[in-house]
Amino acid sequence: MGSLEVNLPVIIVVGISLVVGLLMVVVFRYTSDQKAIHIAKDRLKAHLLALKLFQDQIPIVIRSYGCIVMATGHYLRLAFKPLLFVIVPLTFLMLQLDRYLGSVPLEAGHAFLVKVRMDSPETLNEVSLQLPKGLATTAPAIHIPSESEVVWRVVAEEAGDYMVDVQASGQTFSKRMVVGSGLSRLSSVRLRGKFWERMFVSGESALPDNSLIEAIDVQYPSRNMPFAGFEWNWIWLFFVLSLASGFVFKSILGIEI
Amino acid sequence: MKWGTSSRAERGRLLACLAVLSIVLLSPLPSQAYAGPGAGFAVLSSFWTLFVAFLYSAYAFFAWPFRQLFRLLRRRKTYGKATIKRAVILGFDGMDPELTERFIAEGRLPNLAKLREQGTFRKLRTTFPPISPVAWSTFMTGVNPGKHNIYDFLGRDLSNYLPYLSSAEIKGPKRSWKLGKYTIPLGGPRIRGMRRGTPFWHWLGEAGIFCSVIRVPVTFPPEKFPGVLLSGMCVPDLKGSQGTFCLCTTRLRGDKFREGGVQVPIERAESWCTSYVPGPDDPLTNGSGNELRVSFEIHPDNHGRQARFKVNLESFTLEVGEYSEWIPVKFKAGFGFSAHGICRFYLKELSPEIEVYVTPVNIDPGRPDLPISQPATYAIYLAKLFGPYATLGLAEDTWALNEEVLDDQAFLAQCYANHDDRERMLFDALEKTQQGLCACVFDTTDRVQHMFWRYLDEDHPAAQDVPPAQRPTVIQDLYARMDELIGRVMQQIDEGTLLMVVSDHGFKSFARCVNLNAWLHQNGYLVLKSRRTESGDWFEDVDWSRTRAYTMGLNGLYLNLKGREREGVVEPGTEADALKDELRRKLDGLVDPASGRAGITGIFDCDAVYAGPYVDNAPDLIVGYGDGFRASWDSVMGKVTSQIFEDNLKAWSGDHCIDPRLVPGVLFCNHKISDEKPAIVDVAPTILKLFGLALPVHFDGKSWTVTPSGTP
Repeated sequence: MGSLEVNLPVIIVVGISLVVGLLMVVVFRYTSDQKAIHIAKDRLKAHLLALKLFQDQIPIVIRSYGCIVMATGHYLRLAFKPLLFVIVPLTFLMLQLDRYLGSVPLEAGHAFLVKVRMDSPETLNEVSLQLPKGLATTAPAIHIPSESEVVWRVVAEEAGDYMVDVQASGQTFSKRMVVGSGLSRLSSVRLRGKFWERMFVSGESALPDNSLIEAIDVQYPSRNMPFAGFEWNWIWLFFVLSLASGFVFKSILGIEI
Repeated sequence: MKWGTSSRAERGRLLACLAVLSIVLLSPLPSQAYAGPGAGFAVLSSFWTLFVAFLYSAYAFFAWPFRQLFRLLRRRKTYGKATIKRAVILGFDGMDPELTERFIAEGRLPNLAKLREQGTFRKLRTTFPPISPVAWSTFMTGVNPGKHNIYDFLGRDLSNYLPYLSSAEIKGPKRSWKLGKYTIPLGGPRIRGMRRGTPFWHWLGEAGIFCSVIRVPVTFPPEKFPGVLLSGMCVPDLKGSQGTFCLCTTRLRGDKFREGGVQVPIERAESWCTSYVPGPDDPLTNGSGNELRVSFEIHPDNHGRQARFKVNLESFTLEVGEYSEWIPVKFKAGFGFSAHGICRFYLKELSPEIEVYVTPVNIDPGRPDLPISQPATYAIYLAKLFGPYATLGLAEDTWALNEEVLDDQAFLAQCYANHDDRERMLFDALEKTQQGLCACVFDTTDRVQHMFWRYLDEDHPAAQDVPPAQRPTVIQDLYARMDELIGRVMQQIDEGTLLMVVSDHGFKSFARCVNLNAWLHQNGYLVLKSRRTESGDWFEDVDWSRTRAYTMGLNGLYLNLKGREREGVVEPGTEADALKDELRRKLDGLVDPASGRAGITGIFDCDAVYAGPYVDNAPDLIVGYGDGFRASWDSVMGKVTSQIFEDNLKAWSGDHCIDPRLVPGVLFCNHKISDEKPAIVDVAPTILKLFGLALPVHFDGKSWTVTPSGTP
């Protein structure tokens, strides 16, 4: 059972990579100009072969190299259109996966940092941290005026899903922190405003616009997963496996990429 | 205004997309740097391509001086004594000098007229017999057929009187492994070229002069030499034949045509139909004749005007009267064995019956299963650069037009599609060969004249129902098109380039067929088994024990020689010589009783016209048919009929396999050539001399005196 838990993230990444590999090549098939891509790739190969066939003729070699650069540009341009269709949904999918697979929860008994960034250094003294039962600070708060930040060192006594309150100028804002093991949806930072940044790095609701606090941040450790004798960041494993899956499916389905 | 609104809306959508994409791409996390396998492949392969190209370019740069030094050390002083920088030879198979002169006089060929004025125009003496594989073999080797061993398309097997392809022999792999009912081939097929002699581009290549040679006949299998070459006439199709088309039909008319094609049924399902493309024999069943097939579906629309085809993973729509592009077909044989071909589909008819013509399955140039170029990558290079192209030696399907499977327009469309591919190859070769030799042969001239001469000859029996005023100017248009091509080539060349336009032979009408086997039979030289008046193909029912002479192929007449043929009866020496004399006497000037014209104007003894180590393989006599005559279709196939002379009613209405003195080729050159009676055998020595090379002693041709056109 323990072993299954340990491998669950790997299983998820493998499964998703296979599905994404298949879906993405199918989407690529229907959103790209397959014929044009086929021709562009063939031209590239032809110019490469020309380097070998006419290697004694330096002007031809130079011209062929120029053709290769041009043909590569053309090929990338053709791949750009399907990229438009693919990149947005895939990016949002990967962002969501990153919430689960990118980091591991905090470990009970090990200290971690909670950072609060204010909108100006003058307000640092107005911030306080209220911890729920099971969490405790291990040192006094440190003020870093140059960064407009206050940092607490915190330790969790036991695993759990905690809400930490941060008070500033009479306002109270909470931030979720997960202590334990296994798969959880983790958000390392809660942000004020900054819609696109929140979209990409935060999994929590925004702090109010009138808040003095810009961000509440908890540093979750990165997750590494064992696969094929190596430790992988999930994104690299996904990259390799989805490429492999795409390669297999494109060959089976006769799709030109 | 409306346009402006729509444009603004489109621009807005585009900007929104770009904004989203920019945000996604510009955000800093690694998870946004990867957009799926498609993008991954694109980026990785682009990077890899550039990297490999850079490495190769660097290698070419740095290795170039060493290669030059190596050449110098081997005393190959490239261009040391050359009087030209580049030679461009355009071969127009069958371009006729008389027609050319006529069309020049009519103002149809301005570029050839210019070449004639500024340089040279001569009739080019051809070979005995004036058949393309013979003449082009002489062109490239500079020797007579007695030294290059090609006398016809066909040779005869002395052990059984059956024909074989004279240019190349393809056999199965040397070793195989028996596994139950299967035979696993260990290795590829064995291909042996039968043409002897050394093409002149080998001498040039050895001397460090780069050569691009495209589709010169009888260059299959391609021989190694320092240059690039794409094989031409005599390259087989995937079935190993010289071109077997397929007619898929819902009409049942038997399964075979006399020549060149097969019929395949189309099975009707509910709303679609299925059929198949026949392929090569299954290599795993060891010659049992099990044919590999590729199935395809036809989905007609409701109006009977067009249909959707599904072939393997390819899908395409054709209207009635339209060709597909080249479609890849993969014939799977099991155990991972497969053969790769390409073919084109032509939708002939959708209602009331369905008929689809499929071209012979050509060897896929992008994945050639047999060697069709030197080096092997040259065919692939051309396929990648221009797309798939016809690789079959006789790529224009004359048989399909002869059998009325294709009509004139469909045949011409096929010819000119192949011709356009050839032009692209030529201009690429011209660009890649700024110094050296660039030789390219165009077959369109030959095929179109063969099939459309009936419209040029007012009395041709195959076009008697077409009034002269309604006859299409196909051949006139053909010559004009070739002239226009020559014009474009002339624009590409500089003063240091020698441009030569040559043809291997001319053309005449083929209105009357001569069945020489019938004549031999009626005159007692060929005897049939009892009570027979006609034979089947390939001498079925011939009594060889009493037969003294026979003919097969286009111009060869053979004695049934004792000790040579399996059942030979004529003693070599005096008896054979006497028989040859007798036949020459009787046949020379043989008159067609219907027209009163001579059907044969010359009979040539092989000992008089050939010399060399392969003369023993030559026909004993070469038959020179008269203007308007040729060997009959039956006679070519070794069949005895009751009629000696008969009308030729086929679309194949022009020919050149006659008396060689009647069908010289053309020679145009942008330089002055002083010789008055040049011959095709002289081309090779002339080119070698122009590049400053010593001539091999075995050459039969003589080099011409060539001076630049500006020289007084």
